Amino acid sequence: MKVAVKILPREVLLDSQGRAVHDNLKNHQFHLNSCRVGKYIVLDLALENKEEALKEAKKMTEFLLINPLIESYQLEVLEESQSFHKN
Amino acid sequence: MKIGVLRFPGTNCDFDIYEMIKAKNHEPIWLWHQDQFQMTDIDQILVPGGFSYGDYLRCGALAAKSPVMKSTLEFAKKGKPILGICNGFQILCESGLLPGVLLRNKNLKFIDKWVSLKLENSNPYFYTQAHQSKIKLPVAHGEGRYYLPSEELKRVQDQGQIWFSYEEDINGSLNQIAGVMSAEKNVAALMPHPERALWEWMGGADGFSFLADRGSL
Amino acid sequence: MSDELKNKLKHYRLSQGEYEKMISLLGREPKSIEWPLFSALWSEHCSYKSSKIHLRKFSYRNTITRDDSDENAGLVDLGFGEKIIFKMESHNHPSFIEPFQGAATGVGGILRDIFTMGARPIALADYLCFGRTENNPRMKYLEQEVVRGISSYGNCVGVPTVTGFTEYDASYDNNILVNAMAVGLVTEGMPLASSKAHGIGNLVVYVGAKTGKDGVHGAAMASESFDENNEAKKPNIQIGDPFYEKLLIESCLEVLKEKLVVSMQDMGAAGLTSSSFEMAAKNQVGFDMHLDQVPRRDSTLTPEEILLSESQERMLLVCVPENLEKIKKSFEKWGLDASPIGKINDTKKMRLFWNGDLLTEIEPGLIVDSAPRYERPFTKYNSSKKISANDFDNQSRKLLENLAETVAIESTSQETEELLKNIIHKMKHNSSFSKKNWIYEQYDQRVGARTMKDASATLAILKLPSHRELALSVGCRPSVMRLDTELGSKDALLYPALQMAVKGFKPLAITDCLNFGNPEKLEVMTDFVTTVDNYAHLAQLIDAPVISGNVSFYNETQNKNITPTPAIGMVGLKENESPVPECHFHEEGLEVYHMYPHPDRSHVLSYHKMAEINHVKPFFCGDLNSEEWAQVVNTLKVFIEETKPQGARIVGAGGLAMTLEKMETSEIKFQPFSKIFNGKENLAYLFEERFYEFVFTVSKNQKENFEKSLKNYCEKNRFKFHLIGFTKK
Repeated sequence: MKVAVKILPREVLLDSQGRAVHDNLKNHQFHLNSCRVGKYIVLDLALENKEEALKEAKKMTEFLLINPLIESYQLEVLEESQSFHKN
Repeated sequence: MKIGVLRFPGTNCDFDIYEMIKAKNHEPIWLWHQDQFQMTDIDQILVPGGFSYGDYLRCGALAAKSPVMKSTLEFAKKGKPILGICNGFQILCESGLLPGVLLRNKNLKFIDKWVSLKLENSNPYFYTQAHQSKIKLPVAHGEGRYYLPSEELKRVQDQGQIWFSYEEDINGSLNQIAGVMSAEKNVAALMPHPERALWEWMGGADGFSFLADRGSL
Repeated sequence: MSDELKNKLKHYRLSQGEYEKMISLLGREPKSIEWPLFSALWSEHCSYKSSKIHLRKFSYRNTITRDDSDENAGLVDLGFGEKIIFKMESHNHPSFIEPFQGAATGVGGILRDIFTMGARPIALADYLCFGRTENNPRMKYLEQEVVRGISSYGNCVGVPTVTGFTEYDASYDNNILVNAMAVGLVTEGMPLASSKAHGIGNLVVYVGAKTGKDGVHGAAMASESFDENNEAKKPNIQIGDPFYEKLLIESCLEVLKEKLVVSMQDMGAAGLTSSSFEMAAKNQVGFDMHLDQVPRRDSTLTPEEILLSESQERMLLVCVPENLEKIKKSFEKWGLDASPIGKINDTKKMRLFWNGDLLTEIEPGLIVDSAPRYERPFTKYNSSKKISANDFDNQSRKLLENLAETVAIESTSQETEELLKNIIHKMKHNSSFSKKNWIYEQYDQRVGARTMKDASATLAILKLPSHRELALSVGCRPSVMRLDTELGSKDALLYPALQMAVKGFKPLAITDCLNFGNPEKLEVMTDFVTTVDNYAHLAQLIDAPVISGNVSFYNETQNKNITPTPAIGMVGLKENESPVPECHFHEEGLEVYHMYPHPDRSHVLSYHKMAEINHVKPFFCGDLNSEEWAQVVNTLKVFIEETKPQGARIVGAGGLAMTLEKMETSEIKFQPFSKIFNGKENLAYLFEERFYEFVFTVSKNQKENFEKSLKNYCEKNRFKFHLIGFTKK
């Protein structure tokens, strides 16, 4: 089972990368309120149970993938059909 | 010669490049990222190193979309010479003027050191001293690992577009590639910094010959 | 005292006495918005309340150093239209909590101190002390991330990091030190900026990044353990953006050059509060400030949070109203906003408004200039590890015998040369002696195209536009401080000064970053006062004034204080373009000389680093006479100018043996004459650390003249010398 970890800088903190992308898009006359840039990680786990997979992914995320001081995250179980690399 | 120097927010080798142009008795002209420019005013363009737009998103990606690059693309189409250094190399790749892409160094760390380079194919505009095929220049980059898919690499190699390669593998670059050229050879770029090797007191002077001497072109 | 008041005092980190002082100054109870003002401006960090009375001892100035103690950093006039400005600052605690951002924002902050005065930053240096990394993944992580933080910020902003110092010791296990130094250059036609506000009716303009909650509860952060699951309780780490800083540097220097601003100040510690109150207090003027007009990233910010926010990359300027549009345009060109948030009023009082309501009206000097001053108790320093020359010889012999035994067990041979090699091998693999290339190679050392000698040399050197050469060095050897504060603090200035002299440079001026433990403890304050006294005295003797600095107290965890670590940054100048002696053996066939103090002149024999590595209590004998060694700083520079040796280096930790080892390169080795390096009795000669001794290399054709001059120099200045060997491939 695949679990996606979506990571963003914590809301209250400055996201310097998001600010740069936001300003740049604005300069090209795109309209947007704000922009935040984070990371997207896909964990392929040898687990079939959704809950177990989420629990394990949470453990891994908090152990290594994020720094809780500066980042927040969401987990999402990916269905077989959801592939990033569709041809 | 009038040599245009592109300036993006975050460019930080602009003054160094300016001094290099003056050291060769050419005339440097600032080209601001938000402005387009008149082709006829400029003989060559240099794209200096630095961290354009903070290197955010992808190195060179945000700069590649700026107004000044529209003129630069036209400039290149006319066959006029453009030299990119470090972040300038990354910008030229992102804008499609050069093949390939520069990825994070294989050890994931920024690297600053003097390296030995081998001239693979000579360029008609920049570093025309083909007699000296081994040179020493400093590198300073976090994303200098040159990559392109193997079929493209073969084409680029066959067409003699590899400009310089590293004598030692410093960053994981494919075939230790340090610099490449466009098929027409008027666009050329490298990761090492010639402007930091102009005089012996800098630790080496091999960079002095990257721009042509005044009057020789 | 009521519980409510107790909690309030704790929250705002004010003492009972300070509370009483607030009331007597105000003549009433403080209003709620005044609490954060007093808390910020009376903090140790902003007010220097425990150190100020001692820092006054750094009053010595010469004709080229400007006495402007109320500006952000000191200034040295080099002539030929060139001036330099430099300062060093600590970012210890933030780096321990979040090493990458902590170190990065430390670099950002010190850079702003420099360009806020109108100088272009041209060099950075760092001074880092970590705990033991062996079997300590957390410390390893801190070390890696601090280096990455410095690298990512300095490289992106385009200022080369050209030198540094890194130390590892148990005393930093729970309190690392991250000190950064920046040097700025002012050339002809670049106007200097002042931080003193003036001109009634002039506008107060906010420039740069929007204000967020960064570092608002920074003060509370230290004492409270945070709850990982409670978003609201997490500390608000300050995030640095070197890209924005680069834009700020260029735009600020541009508006200064166009003479559009009256004064300028960066928002550093305690953010808007300290920048605005200090700008106003320096000239006894008042601001009307509309806090609701401060650009914000977060709409929920309260006036108190706006006043205390430590969001990075922000500046405050004062300008005449007519220049506002031009200023806005200049910043806009660089993608930055400039927003007027107030003006200078005619009441000489700071008046803070929130949506039109007056929150408070208060004289800035009342808080800034009336900050508490403490005379913390201290005593005369007592050198406890100092022993007699006889005892020294005995202990030295014992240490070396033990060492010889341990390495002999591991090797089969009893030959001295083999023994020597094994000792060196053992020392080399200690983190204190191991090569630090992995650090420096992550720093861009050459951006700006001024670097002559990078961090691989013992002395970083930059080329000035006038073609003169500027040297940069950081100093203070914690292992000597642990040995003896009296000795260590003299050494902290003499060692870099001699490093400069031995390369033909004249030390010009000094900045310091005084990292100490809890000043309320007698021994900590004694170390501090001893250091300040020695610095003040030596700065005058070597004619290199202490022109700027920073004090970092309370570097203690669970009652354990760090090694007193008064880091310094020193800048020197060489007026001529003659070649700088190399610090490595750069070619074969060079004669190698060793010069060391004549036994009858004042000097110190010690084992500090070497003893520590071998788990022996450090010891020393002898005295360092400040006057005599300051004299050597002068004469040695002249000697180098006249004799032009090919190589020259001061002998460092681990003595002559380790220094010769460090001078070797992968191609060129040292070949000793056997008489010097044979026999176990020579081990002391090789490993003892004599303060101070030197190695010179000269080519064969220089030899005769050099030796004559060296003999003459040694006689006059009471040194001895030996020709100890030569270099070979």
